[in-house]
Amino acid sequence: MDFPIVEFPWFGNGNIVALIAIIHVLISHGVAIGATAIVVSTEYYAMQTKNAKLDQLAKQLTKWIVIITTTVGAMTGVGIWLSTMVIQPDSIGSLLRIFFWAWVTEWVIFIGEVVLLLIYYYTWEKWKKGKEKQKHLNIGITLAVFSWLTMAIITGILAAKLTPGRWVETLSFWNAFFNPTYLPSLAFRTFLAVTLAISLFTIFVRLFVKDKDVRLPLFRIFSIWGAISLPATFIFGIWYLKSIPEQAAKLIVWSTGLPEQTFNVLNLIAFALIVVFLIWLVIRPKKLPAVLALAMFISAIGFIGEFEVVRESIRKPYIIYNYMYVNGITAAKAEAMNRDGYLAHSTIAKVKTITEENKIEAGREIYEGQCLACHTIDGWRSKRALANRLQGWPQKSIEAFIPSMHQVRPMMPPFVGTKEEVEALAAYLYKVVNEQN
Amino acid sequence: MHILQLAIPPDFPLPIPGNLSLLEFLIVLTFILHIVFVNFTLSFATGAVALEGAGIVKKSKRLDDMARICSFHASIHKSIAVVLGVAPLLIVSVIYTQYFYTSTLLIGKAWISIIVLLITAFLLLYVYKFSWEKWENKKGLHFFVGLVASAILLFIPLIFIVNIVSMLYPEKWSSANGFFHSLFYYPQIWQRYAHFVLASLAAGGFYMYFYFAWKQKKQPLSDVEQSLKMGGVKVTFWITLLQLLFGSLLLISFRRDIVLLFMGDDLLLTVLLLVSILLTIVLCGLLYIVTKKDTQNVFYASVICFVLIVALMGWMRHEVRESYLQPYMDEHPRTLDVQKENVQPIK
Repeated sequence: MDFPIVEFPWFGNGNIVALIAIIHVLISHGVAIGATAIVVSTEYYAMQTKNAKLDQLAKQLTKWIVIITTTVGAMTGVGIWLSTMVIQPDSIGSLLRIFFWAWVTEWVIFIGEVVLLLIYYYTWEKWKKGKEKQKHLNIGITLAVFSWLTMAIITGILAAKLTPGRWVETLSFWNAFFNPTYLPSLAFRTFLAVTLAISLFTIFVRLFVKDKDVRLPLFRIFSIWGAISLPATFIFGIWYLKSIPEQAAKLIVWSTGLPEQTFNVLNLIAFALIVVFLIWLVIRPKKLPAVLALAMFISAIGFIGEFEVVRESIRKPYIIYNYMYVNGITAAKAEAMNRDGYLAHSTIAKVKTITEENKIEAGREIYEGQCLACHTIDGWRSKRALANRLQGWPQKSIEAFIPSMHQVRPMMPPFVGTKEEVEALAAYLYKVVNEQN
Repeated sequence: MHILQLAIPPDFPLPIPGNLSLLEFLIVLTFILHIVFVNFTLSFATGAVALEGAGIVKKSKRLDDMARICSFHASIHKSIAVVLGVAPLLIVSVIYTQYFYTSTLLIGKAWISIIVLLITAFLLLYVYKFSWEKWENKKGLHFFVGLVASAILLFIPLIFIVNIVSMLYPEKWSSANGFFHSLFYYPQIWQRYAHFVLASLAAGGFYMYFYFAWKQKKQPLSDVEQSLKMGGVKVTFWITLLQLLFGSLLLISFRRDIVLLFMGDDLLLTVLLLVSILLTIVLCGLLYIVTKKDTQNVFYASVICFVLIVALMGWMRHEVRESYLQPYMDEHPRTLDVQKENVQPIK
């Protein structure tokens, strides 16, 4: 515990990052990458078929890509980082040290992406004919490549958190970047982006694009992309799933908080839904029910939410696998803290030596440092609220449980500190849990 | 100073990824690029609202047209400003981790609120831009949207300023109590803010002059464009004059020993300050000439002057931070080589 603590007692600290991340993935994958690829294909198709109205629709869609990605998209992207600085400073700080130049490269490409997007949209009317139109299309293609490249870099960093691979031994940047799940997750995300774009945009096209001369060709483009992306998402998804650590794979169902059967049924329904949706789009695009498109829209958001929550949770008890626990503690820190005390090695701890008088205060500091990353006292997610989990526990039982909790619950990191600190934490938890209940 | 009792954490055991001098050069360079676009965004957004407001009061179509051009430029530059901000933020996180993370966490909730504030402001800027014609008969509402966006844009810099000022004062951390308290708790916050807002107006005015002078080479300017160009020069001239005063106010708000560094104790800093003041006076002179007689040569000279001043300001800003942190950095060293014993796998 080296930095001041910021607490979101009701919402839960981890949920802040999760919420921002879910919104960002929806936009970065679905809009910036997926929709851009579709819009550029639409411009190309409109050129080939000399369909001026379709060209205008592509322009309209680009306007929305500009609006969404340069506001919510860009700011949630930066926002994941801003919020992890507050919620997980040790983890993001370490990742910055490892991946700094990857981030710098990503940043340069990201600038290119934004500039290209602005040029692409604002030159639509200016570069309209012959060679100029071809130039405009080329800018669109470059834009699509750039959007994908930003993801190709960030995926290296994200995947390394789950599977740092040889990095933990060699500390080599390249080992960390080209880690065991890099390629499978990149392939999965690439096609997921296109599938997501189709799922998110269809409902708006269905409701707001009345003209059949443009709606039908656009649906045709959707279905061609869908025919490629859906099977690819599925196949690469399985590859990705097979390449994650066994311990993590076991946590997938648990991390959704659903009973296994419900989890299986829900995912099967969602998969069946998208297959039906795509087949419908191919066979009877004229009569695509709005309800089906809406169901796709909602289940796509649901799926991304599930994916992000699972991806973040199966890493437990780590935040960087085999290097740092979710509460920021590393092997070296744990060793020193078990020897001299957690508080003794915490820069901001006010209590350094525990006495009967400051025991509760010491316990609160330990709670903030070691538990707060996942738990709340009385937050809305009852499974993580200690007032719920520890209800009715005598203080002695809490005290006995803490040192062995990581064996009983493998998603929890081991407690770090001295015997007195266990007692202090137990005393604090017992007090606040009973005050709440 | 009782440095040892301060809440400055030890640095991470993973090393700072690169040559420190290179990173310092990059932080100055990328920060300048970022802040210039922030300046543009802020001045065009507030400028558009001010012009539109004046247009409503005076029932002037011409002012409304000028406002509209400003709003167009605001919404483009805001996208660039955000992306350019990533690099300096990356570097400050990496080379001043012990100070910057603590100062960020001390205002953690305000810091996270930047996300919501910026999204809201940016969306409102789009509404403002794209509804100019549609809401011609709802001028009040349209003006209000721009006003709210501008107010948010004027507020956000305070969060950044509190953060980067707070990181310079580890001895004050233990009594700091959140963002709003910090606004009036740390020295130099409002002086920095005033210096920044004025710089934004000056940069925006200069941009208008630069942009339309460049456009003029290709095609004659419309009446409205000509007004923006010359209006820009006038704004920049007067604001730059004012900056001589506000810059001095900022300087004397620094700790005494830092002020003295700029007044002879440190040769480099003293020269930097003198040259920047000199260049500012030259720029004012050039801008004054432009208002009387607009020629190519004066234009180029003023651009060079402007770029040099901005570069010097960015450089001095960095040196101020280095000077403030120097005593602490000696006591709490940064990790330049990997501490292998502290980077062990968890088995």
